[in-house]
Amino acid sequence: MSTEVLAAPAPKTYSGLLDWLTTTDHKKIGLLYLGFAFINIWLGGALAGLIRLNLFNPGWHIIAPNVYNQLITMHATLMIFMAVMPAFAGMGNYLIPLMIGARDMAFPKLNAFSFWIMIPAALMMYVSFFVPGGASRGGWWQYPPLSTFQFMGGHGEDLWILAVILLGISSVTGAINILVTIFDMRAPGMKLMRMPLFVWSWLVTATMLIVALPVLSGTMIMLLADRLFGTGFYRPALGGDPLLYEHLFWFFGHPEVYIMILPGFGMMSHIVPSFAGKKVFGYKGMVYALCAIGLLGYTVWAHHMFTSGITPAAQIYFSICSMLIAIPTGVKIYSWLASMWGGAIRFTTPMLFCLGMIALFTFGGLTGVMLAIVPFDIVVHNTYFVVGHFHYVLVGGSVMALLGGMHFWYPKISGRMLSEKLGHWTFWLIFIGINWVFLPMHWLGIEGMVRRIATYRPQFAFWNQFISLGFFFMLFGGLLFTWNVIVSWKKGQPAQADAWQVNDTQQAFEWMTSSPPPVHNFDEIPAMPAEEHA
Amino acid sequence: MNTATDTLSASAGHAASGEAAHIHLPGPSFWPILLALGMGLVTTGFFFWATGASANWWFGLGAIFCIVPAMGWATTIAAERRHMDPAQTSTDLRRGFLLFLVSESCIFGSFFAHNIYLRFFAPAWPPPGAPVLATQLPAIGTLVLVLSSFTVNIAHHAIKSGKITRAKNWLILTIVMGIVFLGIQAYDWGFLLQFDKFTISKGVFGSGYYLMTGFHGMHVLVGLLMLGLVYWRLERGDYNNPTYSFSTDAAAYYWHFVDIVWIFLFFTIYLLKF
Repeated sequence: MSTEVLAAPAPKTYSGLLDWLTTTDHKKIGLLYLGFAFINIWLGGALAGLIRLNLFNPGWHIIAPNVYNQLITMHATLMIFMAVMPAFAGMGNYLIPLMIGARDMAFPKLNAFSFWIMIPAALMMYVSFFVPGGASRGGWWQYPPLSTFQFMGGHGEDLWILAVILLGISSVTGAINILVTIFDMRAPGMKLMRMPLFVWSWLVTATMLIVALPVLSGTMIMLLADRLFGTGFYRPALGGDPLLYEHLFWFFGHPEVYIMILPGFGMMSHIVPSFAGKKVFGYKGMVYALCAIGLLGYTVWAHHMFTSGITPAAQIYFSICSMLIAIPTGVKIYSWLASMWGGAIRFTTPMLFCLGMIALFTFGGLTGVMLAIVPFDIVVHNTYFVVGHFHYVLVGGSVMALLGGMHFWYPKISGRMLSEKLGHWTFWLIFIGINWVFLPMHWLGIEGMVRRIATYRPQFAFWNQFISLGFFFMLFGGLLFTWNVIVSWKKGQPAQADAWQVNDTQQAFEWMTSSPPPVHNFDEIPAMPAEEHA
Repeated sequence: MNTATDTLSASAGHAASGEAAHIHLPGPSFWPILLALGMGLVTTGFFFWATGASANWWFGLGAIFCIVPAMGWATTIAAERRHMDPAQTSTDLRRGFLLFLVSESCIFGSFFAHNIYLRFFAPAWPPPGAPVLATQLPAIGTLVLVLSSFTVNIAHHAIKSGKITRAKNWLILTIVMGIVFLGIQAYDWGFLLQFDKFTISKGVFGSGYYLMTGFHGMHVLVGLLMLGLVYWRLERGDYNNPTYSFSTDAAAYYWHFVDIVWIFLFFTIYLLKF
């Protein structure tokens, strides 16, 4: 019965590849996540390129409709589950322990597992293109009856379902790890209401993941059983109900939307005040807004189903709740604006991405409010208006915030600065590209161009060709960013501990340790400065 | 305030000094990646099996790559914890495990949601052709499972206070009760399959019934496995510091969880008649 802590033996170490395969260091695992996301955003982008190639001319039919459906499904799947989510998970992994003054995550080995379990899932996704019948073609929603075996033979769909269940395991174990880390490993004096906002955003995100992802797994288990074991969960002939699938899917799917944006909000709340030379405006309001979005996010799912046959009462309820989300979101946007008010703004690359994000996300948010209005939604449901809307919030919001965050914390991660010149070019290419590609989709949608169809009526040809050309802006922006990241890793200007001189006004722990941080993060855990009482 | 920050950045700016030597960080480990490999193999095996291909090799290899890393992982953690603050690590592990149970209940939640939605919106419930489920035997099963939650509690407290023989006895009783419950469930399934010719594909009632009881039964099985491991470790005299023993907490929590889920399941599937 001894409770004393024995002295630890020095852990053995590996080098090279073995080091990466066996590492339990949250910083290396964070980099693995980011690398994984990097590969998949390129693959998903390549699929988007093929989609735009096919849509360049309605008469070309370069890609068979059957293959086109695989492309749109896998583009969404790769971007959502294997690019944006792991990218945020990677940033969270790297930054949360540094920001709260911890030496690692609460469960370092579970952390490694959360990453590695994504690899078999990714392989199953890739392989599914090559099984007879090809990859899943049900869109990322996989609505039955389209996704039942009767209408979608072949086993690509089954591989998709199993891979998504594995990705769910990754997300849930990762979220548990992050929550326990945040609860138990904060530096002395760092109360919850003094935590950095990125950590807060992940606290809310991880809570959402733990509730939402298992529901997706359960829903997918039932879908798989319908396909392979003859059950009737979603088959009306056996007493099941396909509408029920939509409810269950969107009970996961809508929180998922916030899972993909909240960590971005968190990053914004660090970068914007840092380059305005001020403290973040309305810290408490920001925290409450995050929590409000997290809670409201669970009450709005059926706004994706206004045309699916839900009752008018339900339509009104879901419409009002969806519009309510604009309030906490507005609190965040106005707080960022107020954080800049009267500040000495430095227009660095990360700041540019954040400013671009505010503009683009606000636009995407406003079209979101439009879509929450039932009569309008019924008109534009499943048109390119919706495609335009969610690309504005996902690319204009999440990806812009991610790029801002990567430019901002790159010096901390690599110990070297990215080229500001290339960074500015990247920003303008991506920013113009996003508007070029996704803005015309709004009026195409209102005019009646339907999404998820391999061709369209000839009168939409001009704007589709316009959009397809805009793909090159995104492509060159992406290439430039990749080039910048790779070259600066060895050749960039060496970065100081506080690379952006943010700690003149902030008290950010991650900028107090060296760049890159030592294996143990801090030689001495920083102490929280005394609390200010306004 | 600024001065405070400056001194902090100054002190943190020093390169790794003698301080660093005292900091314990967990070493590298092969277990996570091997377990991920194992789970990938099993999932692939499941895919081949479910689509009618042969999958024995995948399952066999997958089982090895799941079981060996899981055991290695547990052993490593047990060894590591001797070098860490036992109170803190057990708080971490307990919280993590409770969050895991939250996520588990959300999977069950999706099945319950399915069932309850259909009760409200299906044209008729139970749907025509569904057998009337006998409640007497499952009620006995419910009673046994609920009681086993109390017995596991007694065993849990006995371990914490170091009364090993008492703990073993109550643990055995719990395991026997769990097996009795599973036996009753198996009998129920067999009866329905054999005499009512009622299968998983005979309509949504059967689909839900077999999925929910089956998924729950798998959890009971895992719970029994955990209790068995605790018993085995008691036999070996493993618990030199039972106050902070996580495995006993985990097994007990899991068993309570399985019990609570079953109470909801029993009411929803067997008793609720509308």
